[in-house]
Amino acid sequence: MLTFSNVTKQYSKVTAVNHLSFSIQKGEIFALLGPNGAGKTTSVRMIMQIIEPDSGKIRFDPGLITGKGVDRRLLGYLPEERGLYQESPILKTLVYLAALRGKEPGWARKEAIKWLERFGLKERMNDKISALSKGNQQKVQFISSILHEPDFVVLDEPFSGFDPINQEFISDCIRELRQSGMTILLSAHQMQLVERIADRILLISDGKELVSGTLEEIRQTIISGQKIVVKYEGDVNSGQLGAIQGISGYQVIGEGEWEVYLNEGVVLNGILSGLALAGTINDLKTAETNLHEIFIHSFKNRGHVDE
Amino acid sequence: MNNDLKIVWEVTKWEFNRFFKWMDLIKGLLFFMFFGLIGGVIGYWLASDTFTPPDIAVANYGLFDPSSFEHSDLNFIDHTATDPDTLGQKLTQGTISAILTIHSADDASIRVPSDRAWIFILEQFLNELRRDEKIAGSGVDPEWISALQAGIGLSREFDKAGTSAAADKIVAGIAIFLVLMAVFMGFAYQFTAITAEKQQRITEQVISAIRPQAWIDGKILGISGIGMIYILFYGSMGIAGAFLLMQFGIPIGSALTQINPVFLITFILIVLLGILMWNSFYAAIAATIDDPNTSQKTGWMTMPIYPVMLAFFVLINPDSVPITVLGIIPFTSYAVLPARMVMTHVAWWEPVLAILLLMITVHLFRIAAGRIFSTAIMMVGKEPGLKEMLYWFRRV
Repeated sequence: MLTFSNVTKQYSKVTAVNHLSFSIQKGEIFALLGPNGAGKTTSVRMIMQIIEPDSGKIRFDPGLITGKGVDRRLLGYLPEERGLYQESPILKTLVYLAALRGKEPGWARKEAIKWLERFGLKERMNDKISALSKGNQQKVQFISSILHEPDFVVLDEPFSGFDPINQEFISDCIRELRQSGMTILLSAHQMQLVERIADRILLISDGKELVSGTLEEIRQTIISGQKIVVKYEGDVNSGQLGAIQGISGYQVIGEGEWEVYLNEGVVLNGILSGLALAGTINDLKTAETNLHEIFIHSFKNRGHVDE
Repeated sequence: MNNDLKIVWEVTKWEFNRFFKWMDLIKGLLFFMFFGLIGGVIGYWLASDTFTPPDIAVANYGLFDPSSFEHSDLNFIDHTATDPDTLGQKLTQGTISAILTIHSADDASIRVPSDRAWIFILEQFLNELRRDEKIAGSGVDPEWISALQAGIGLSREFDKAGTSAAADKIVAGIAIFLVLMAVFMGFAYQFTAITAEKQQRITEQVISAIRPQAWIDGKILGISGIGMIYILFYGSMGIAGAFLLMQFGIPIGSALTQINPVFLITFILIVLLGILMWNSFYAAIAATIDDPNTSQKTGWMTMPIYPVMLAFFVLINPDSVPITVLGIIPFTSYAVLPARMVMTHVAWWEPVLAILLLMITVHLFRIAAGRIFSTAIMMVGKEPGLKEMLYWFRRV
């Protein structure tokens, strides 16, 4: 659907995107992750034709191209910095934004009402946007980005401003859109949601790729070994934990509960004796690292975690 | 319809409907009519007060003949036999309007509760009495004096044919007023439309959907459309008012038939193009403003008033070379040319050239506005300086 080849974008003294390359396959949910200032928004703006790269190429699927370049009617966009015409009625706003993407007002009106009904806002379709709560405004914004049934949609922080129930609801909607054949580029900080819906993930930092692939592939690359969850009774000698050979990191996750990340190929026997020296073990189990841990683990060592 | 044109049309409709409200227009008209009615009633009341002859008690005629105190707008009452205290009481009670005392041929006084408009008429009347008295005393022939005072009858013949009728002058004045109204209205709406979109963070979503040029074109057309609707509305109200006055026997109809249709068409074209030009200009300026509350660029709003000020110089000499040039160049032609056309003969090619140049300027301005808009609209937290703006203009 899209190929980003060696793309660079510089703002006066800052290189926002630095020779970045990746590709998004048709029909997948592709997650673009990174700490603040990693270059996500700049990459997204270049994809959406809002700004041009200084060098490199962004190639779109031929199905998205018309004689004049990328057919913007086939793209959808939920920007991170978003807003709506506060003094305009909800339905009229949605119909207008769909009309800008080439949809007939009659069709857009019908579809908008369907979506509003699904989001529980049908009764309020003639209210002004300013009369809605922040969460409901976010729903209208989400509808506006996909109402015109784009082939490719970029959702920058689609879960922000929603409570956990609505986050789940939006997550279901995104999965449904993928099922219907839409290709989705997702940028979000809600890792537990991203890891459940993303087909592939790209982690970037300082405008460069850190790691990419499926969640499993990334696990293998970033935290190649296993994770052990140890529950201690009483005091823990954390210095002793740091001295264990063959671990890539550790962190406390609860009262007396610690996570220890093992290097690839490390024999568990050697680790267990080190763990026992740190304190009295009450419980011990192996577990899989999740995306949140991968994210933290990846960027903590680089000194700029600010999620 | 071509997709680009379709998008421009969608934006035009949206921007028009966003700001144009029929109720606002009707409310404005009702306010206008209400205050017009109040003004009319007050004017009528004042006028009727003025022309109710005041009762002026004459305490002393001086050297003047009492029988000569006759005036259609002043009612003189002989009170030479009444003592001053009684006269003063009558004035306080309001049974008389004033007390006039003539001390000599050169000195008189009037006592009134407060200043009155008819005192001016009284002064003129007394001056005439004094003059007649002086002439009679000098033995000079009054006819000779009249002949001496008569002015010369200077009739005006203009070598340059085509100087317009009063009706055209009225049309020109109204055209300039309406275009200014539409231009300033456009300024207000463009600033609100564009700066609010930036502040409400709508820009990024729209700019990803359509080209900035299509967006700015739609804005210029939609907001210019509001100005034009206002012109049409108030123009129609003016015509309706004229027909209403005709029903009362006021000869507006004959004045309307004197309007030169060529003037009318030229004015309409200049009005339309002037509105479009200034709206394009304002759209470009508005796109560079980050926060309208703190921006220094709001001073640009006074720009369209300067050509109107220049139009007043036409009154001094409408045929001077600088005024002829100002009537052709686009920034000033929309105000200067209509003024020239009603003051002097204008060669046929002048309005043609002025309109052509205005059309080219509108086109260039909309492209410049599109370029500035596409670059500046995403700027948040800072504004481009004059140097950057001129650079973008030069790129056009």
